[in-house]
Amino acid sequence: MGLLSIIRKIKRKEKEMRILMVGLDNSGKTTIVLKINGEDTSVISPTLGFNIKTISYQKYTLNIWDVGGQKTIRAYWRNYFEQTDGLIWVVDSSDLRRLDDCRNELHNLLKEERLSGASLLIFANKQDIQGALSPSEIAKVLNLDAMDKTRHWKIVGCSAYTGEGLLEGFDWLVQDIASRIYVLD
Amino acid sequence: MIKVLISLIGVLNLLGFGQNFFYRKNWLPESDASNPSSMSNQNLDPSIHKKHQAMLERLSNRHQARARSKESDSCPSFESTDSFLARFSELKQSITSELTQIEQTPESFTKADLDNVSAQVSELEKLVAENSYHLPSYEVRASLKTIADLKESLEKVALKLVPRKKFSFKGKASKPSQPVAAVEKVKNEKPDLVPSETRSFVLDTSGFRDRKGEVLVENLKGKDMGEFMLSDLVSCDVRLMGRSRAIFIHRLRNCKVYAGPALGSVLIDDVEDCVFVLASHQIRIHNAKRCDFYLRVRSRPIIEDSNCVRFAPYCLQYDGIEDDLRESRLDEETGNWENVDDFKWLRAVQSPNWSILPENERMSDFRISSADG
Repeated sequence: MGLLSIIRKIKRKEKEMRILMVGLDNSGKTTIVLKINGEDTSVISPTLGFNIKTISYQKYTLNIWDVGGQKTIRAYWRNYFEQTDGLIWVVDSSDLRRLDDCRNELHNLLKEERLSGASLLIFANKQDIQGALSPSEIAKVLNLDAMDKTRHWKIVGCSAYTGEGLLEGFDWLVQDIASRIYVLD
Repeated sequence: MIKVLISLIGVLNLLGFGQNFFYRKNWLPESDASNPSSMSNQNLDPSIHKKHQAMLERLSNRHQARARSKESDSCPSFESTDSFLARFSELKQSITSELTQIEQTPESFTKADLDNVSAQVSELEKLVAENSYHLPSYEVRASLKTIADLKESLEKVALKLVPRKKFSFKGKASKPSQPVAAVEKVKNEKPDLVPSETRSFVLDTSGFRDRKGEVLVENLKGKDMGEFMLSDLVSCDVRLMGRSRAIFIHRLRNCKVYAGPALGSVLIDDVEDCVFVLASHQIRIHNAKRCDFYLRVRSRPIIEDSNCVRFAPYCLQYDGIEDDLRESRLDEETGNWENVDDFKWLRAVQSPNWSILPENERMSDFRISSADG
């Protein structure tokens, strides 16, 4: 029996999902994780390194890897690609100036072979801020339609500040991953 | 399960290490002794002898290859760093020479040539990415730096060739009547080139941009709380009263910025010789040089690619600032203004890029009002 099949078996038993959360700095990744876990979001320092949160969601256990987005540490993202079931890309919808950066980083990420099987959820965050672009506008600017047709993806508008949209996004992601990995259930 | 994985990896490592160790111990004597041993084996079965010869040859080849790679880098790697470096410098050479050519005689080149160069740069980037897993981290950093430099010079050349259009409300009638042929040609191909950045900028966010030598006053009180943007300001004095959701600051030179609390975050990029007085939940400072920051922050402020920046506590006063601070949950001094994280200095000792502004050099409470303008 190969290593891979052992891992698959264990995973199936534990119903574990590994979710990688990335995006430019200041997009709200850590806030999203804490908010969905019902924790205090009022004091969050920019992430120097990464945080891991394990949360129970529906009947699954989500291991969420929240990796810092500062330019200096983006180079280390690739250390976290292995075994990723779901990818969450977080966008600051109010930061119009850096949307080009955001698109380039995302498309670079999607070229990565180790992420090719991962479901992709895009959070158009900060929808509560006046002047933020809508999810459909973000989808256009990020050129999401140009993505590989085999990719499972969805864009969801949200606000980590109010919590709106977060559950909708996670629901989709978890369902999509489950339908791929746990087909037999 | 993680434990299982770790132990598996441990076993693999041990095996790998063992192999390496074995090689190192055995190569040298084996290949050094290749001559005498082949002599003594002469009267053996010819096929075995042949095999033995072949093996010796393989070993000595490997030994040589290893010795060669040792010359260039001291740490052993499984792939050849030399061959990567050779290929890298070759590509780099061809790109630089092409760029200088274009730069010297811009008239004789078109956008297609530039695209070609930029494709080569991406190729180079790909090469580095593909090899990054086995390269020493210094080489990766050095090559990435080279690529960034190349991109920069490419951009410069591109600007020379195709001057970037400035956004303006000019009527169409005032079009110059003597367009240079090359420029005209480029214009025709341009629609897909216009960066979406320019497009989105046209969307209205409140803020100040492209100003020089002015006092800019804004009272946000009573307005919808949104983001506020300051960009491309030179020698300006910005006074912002009231609360905002977020503040974006980009490309400021020799400016002073006094702002009421921001409920979300402040993002600063590319500022030089400025003074900032800010209160916010999060503050990120990128590419700042010779700036002073008077901050109140709920979390740790960070700097990246910055130097000669100094920090002091918040010191702003205007009518009603206490209420604004309280409503933004920034009424208490957290002391975080001095807990700066430098992303370019991940060590325990104090970063050389920032310091605490000595008390005798700090400005005292600074008062602003709507009548300042």
